[in-house]
Amino acid sequence: MEDQILALTEQLAAVTNAAQVTNTMFAETYYFLSIPLMVLIHAGFLLYEMGQTRVKNVLSSGIKNLLAFAFTIVTFYLFGWWFYWALPTFPYDLASGAGYMAISGIEYANAIALPWGDSAQYMGPNMGDHASGVFWGAFALFAATTASIASGALIERIQTVGFVICAIVLGSFAWVVAAAWGWHADGWLVTEFGFHDFGAAGLVHAVAGFFALGVLMNLGPRVGKYNDDGSANKIVGHNLPLTVAGLMLIIVGFFGFLMACIILPGEAWSWYADGGTTIYGTPMTLSALGFNIVLACSGGIIGAWIVTKDPFWMMSGCLAGIIATASGLDVYFGSHIIIIATVAGMIIKPCAEWLEGLGIDDAVGAVTIHGTIGVFGVVVLGIFGSGIPGLGAFAPEGTVAISLWGQFVGAVVMFLLGFVPGYIVSWLLHKAGMLRVPEAVQIKGLDPVKVPAQAYPEVMVSPDTEA
Amino acid sequence: MGYFADSFTELYADGAWIDMGMYIGAGGSSPGWYTLIAAVMLVVILVVGNKGEQDSYDKHK
Repeated sequence: MEDQILALTEQLAAVTNAAQVTNTMFAETYYFLSIPLMVLIHAGFLLYEMGQTRVKNVLSSGIKNLLAFAFTIVTFYLFGWWFYWALPTFPYDLASGAGYMAISGIEYANAIALPWGDSAQYMGPNMGDHASGVFWGAFALFAATTASIASGALIERIQTVGFVICAIVLGSFAWVVAAAWGWHADGWLVTEFGFHDFGAAGLVHAVAGFFALGVLMNLGPRVGKYNDDGSANKIVGHNLPLTVAGLMLIIVGFFGFLMACIILPGEAWSWYADGGTTIYGTPMTLSALGFNIVLACSGGIIGAWIVTKDPFWMMSGCLAGIIATASGLDVYFGSHIIIIATVAGMIIKPCAEWLEGLGIDDAVGAVTIHGTIGVFGVVVLGIFGSGIPGLGAFAPEGTVAISLWGQFVGAVVMFLLGFVPGYIVSWLLHKAGMLRVPEAVQIKGLDPVKVPAQAYPEVMVSPDTEA
Repeated sequence: MGYFADSFTELYADGAWIDMGMYIGAGGSSPGWYTLIAAVMLVVILVVGNKGEQDSYDKHK
């Protein structure tokens, strides 16, 4: 009898160990596969941006977008990841110490997020660590997404290296600070204000959109965009089908983006042993995303169609539908999603035209679709979701719940974290002569001047290109 | 420089891999030096890239 109990105990231990290995490998694979899905966001932004560009600037726009991706990811490795772990409690704690969950603060960041010294063991191959690389990879793609968002607004007149510097500041600093404050269980926006932003409407989209606005104010419009009387001309991109297909690819990529926002169960870093959660430890399933993402896409398309009848704005509406609901994809019912996404789809074009009337030449509507709709989504969750607990079951007593005030404060912080760094870095680049492409080059075309390749046969030229 | 172990056998004990960095230079200072070199390379590339870009604009002003 004792032998049988001993044998069964050993078998149970072996089965338990095997189950843990399976869970760990599943979690590692889950986040790993979210990374190539998010690369599709960049494929989409590449097509979107190039399609919205005139023939004479197509390849320059593509180069700019590719470099945003590359430099953002490299600098996110060098220092961006460190900011995420170091700053959640700053400036509430000026020394940036650890928060209640003890996974934040400068000391913690120094131990896990620097590519040198002892912490380097968590920044490279390590058979005992199946989490750091895939989490880092997913976050790096979030970072690159912010740069891609801003990229489209600035096409056809921003210098390449100047833009790369903007992309580094946005992707490896500005949005990372927003994530540390509002997308971390120890973040002060979460613990002090109950800020909730499951799918990063504020901390990715609003930050990137308003960063673009800050840059646009120093960059100025494309040559020929505005007439002497202040009225705006429509500068048509060379390939609307490419743009629309690009937008659809962005939507596909967002399924990867949003699945990576779920914390899987059963690991040392999980909130629970048996259920998925948001990054705040509140309950969440992939199944909820199954309902809500596709409904958000549909609502956005329908709302944009009824106002614009234009496929560009309809696909932009699809994206706006996701962004408007992203903060509360974990708590909204399907009918909430339909209403919010449809309204978002309806307001994007009027908002973009209002901005254009102020002299801001946003070539792809990024400030509106990501910035304005991102803030809209954050605040709307405060209206529908007030009173929902802000953190999961292991949170400290007295944790602040979601509220309209907390979401409003979060929205203001996201606006400032985008706009202020964008304005300052572009102002400095402007003073250094590294921001705006000279007018003669804009008229001739950026590709003939600085790209040793040709996008299309020479019979295809922009009608406004000078020989 | 170099790998820190002569055999993977010593890194696999009691049915599990040892929890440590397993890359060239792990446990030493060389990863930090390579990080520094990579960072300097990126800065130089941006400087050179900007110089080339300004030259191309100057030719077409």
